[in-house]
Amino acid sequence: MSEFLAYTFVQRALAVGILLAVTCAVLSFFVVLKRMSFVGVGLSHAALGGVALGVVLGVPPLLAAALFTIGVAWVIGWMRGRSEVSEDTAIGVFFPTAMALGVVLISLSPTYRQDLMAYLFGNILSVRQGEVLPLAALSAMSLGLIGWWFKELLFAGVDEEAAQAAGVPVRPLRFLLLTLLAVTIVASVRLVGIVLVSAFLVIPAATGQALARSLKGMLVLAVASSVASVVLGLWLSWAWDIPSGAAIVLSSAVLFFAALALGSRQNT
Amino acid sequence: MTRADPAAIVLDRVSASYDGRPALEDVSFQVPQGDFAALIGPNGAGKSTILRLLLGLLHPTSGRVEVFGHPPGRDERPIGYVPQKVVIPRGFPITVLDVALMGRTGILGPGRRPGARDRELAMASLALVGLADDAARRFQDLSGGQQQRVLIARALCSEPRLLLLDEPTAGLDSGARARFYSLVCQLQHGQGLTLLCATHDLDVVGEHADALILLDRVVLAQGNPDEVLTGSTLARAYSFPKAHAHLHGAGGAP
Repeated sequence: MSEFLAYTFVQRALAVGILLAVTCAVLSFFVVLKRMSFVGVGLSHAALGGVALGVVLGVPPLLAAALFTIGVAWVIGWMRGRSEVSEDTAIGVFFPTAMALGVVLISLSPTYRQDLMAYLFGNILSVRQGEVLPLAALSAMSLGLIGWWFKELLFAGVDEEAAQAAGVPVRPLRFLLLTLLAVTIVASVRLVGIVLVSAFLVIPAATGQALARSLKGMLVLAVASSVASVVLGLWLSWAWDIPSGAAIVLSSAVLFFAALALGSRQNT
Repeated sequence: MTRADPAAIVLDRVSASYDGRPALEDVSFQVPQGDFAALIGPNGAGKSTILRLLLGLLHPTSGRVEVFGHPPGRDERPIGYVPQKVVIPRGFPITVLDVALMGRTGILGPGRRPGARDRELAMASLALVGLADDAARRFQDLSGGQQQRVLIARALCSEPRLLLLDEPTAGLDSGARARFYSLVCQLQHGQGLTLLCATHDLDVVGEHADALILLDRVVLAQGNPDEVLTGSTLARAYSFPKAHAHLHGAGGAP
């Protein structure tokens, strides 16, 4: 383990990974509460379209992906209850299309070809020095906003109509949550990869829920399991030379099934 | 009604629509403070539209809406709102107390966590609906009738003087339904609350409410239950044969 920690790229990946683990865990609480896991899947796939657009247009890929994914998230938020097509169907059609477009564009561009695997499945080596501070600021901002609006987000997540009646700005909060999801997904792409980042937005809360008896307990367990799976996953990625995203998601799945087994034993 | 003591609810020639589709036309009625009024009528009659107008979630296309003499949302005391149902994802550990405390959200405002006084109020509200001992239980483990009582406690938690209930007993069996309305009446008299309830429970409401408003986009009839629950007015609203109307409507409880 000490050898593992000696590398700067490992320290960097760990710092970024733990920050993102905490943010994703807190977001996963609302993803599970609002049954939005499919939105997470859709947004992460759309992110690849954004990466590709960046490549084609000569804009930094992650910046392009962030703007593109936020735009897409807002379209979903706006569509809710307005369109003839259900939200679910629209996500199912639109997002894989954006992803397919992304794969085609990236494959045609010779310089980015080898990066495709990294975007899809994450790469521990791909976190750059200059990215640590902006990601830390982003995580702090996301957590601050969620903390400030926590009980409003909870109320709106449980009962939109009653929350609105109580003066909670339900619609702006829906857009806030979608924006934070989009930004966090794009920020996590280097580490976890587009294909797997949506799992990172569901599994921590599911793990917390399996064991906790209270909302606070659920949040604490979600964050703890998320951080543990990032540390374990990055170590496995380094030790076995496997994509970091796959290692992280597998680690979190193992923790989830352990929690499930433990939880069902508690209940019997 | 004097200036010092305005009606709890005033709708004066109110029309409203959704995307140009009329939902209410020229609706007028008043609910005096401390009364229990029920909105009845078929699906799509505009019952929920009236509740949305009173909550300030929808604006009338014409006419005047007032709550305790103020436009909706301007009264200093919040309105308690009780929805049809709240569904929480399976396994989510939201307790009965968590749900009741949500009633304090609007009063606390963002960035503030519920404190000791909020907890006291939530427990007191749960005690009023007979669920103080269940505060730590998971909300979804309660029966449908108990869940509705928690939603009342949540509404009471904001210390309202007006409760709006939107088909609160849909999906409850007749026993739970009767218990629900007797609790509501107890609160009306004990807490001095004004109640407006959208419902299809003609029989139970006929027994408990002070006034009924029979709606089908327009007001078809209003007054005390005996005046409104006649075969001919109900038949007009629900388009069913008069004999059947008598059986279900005016029949009521003995």
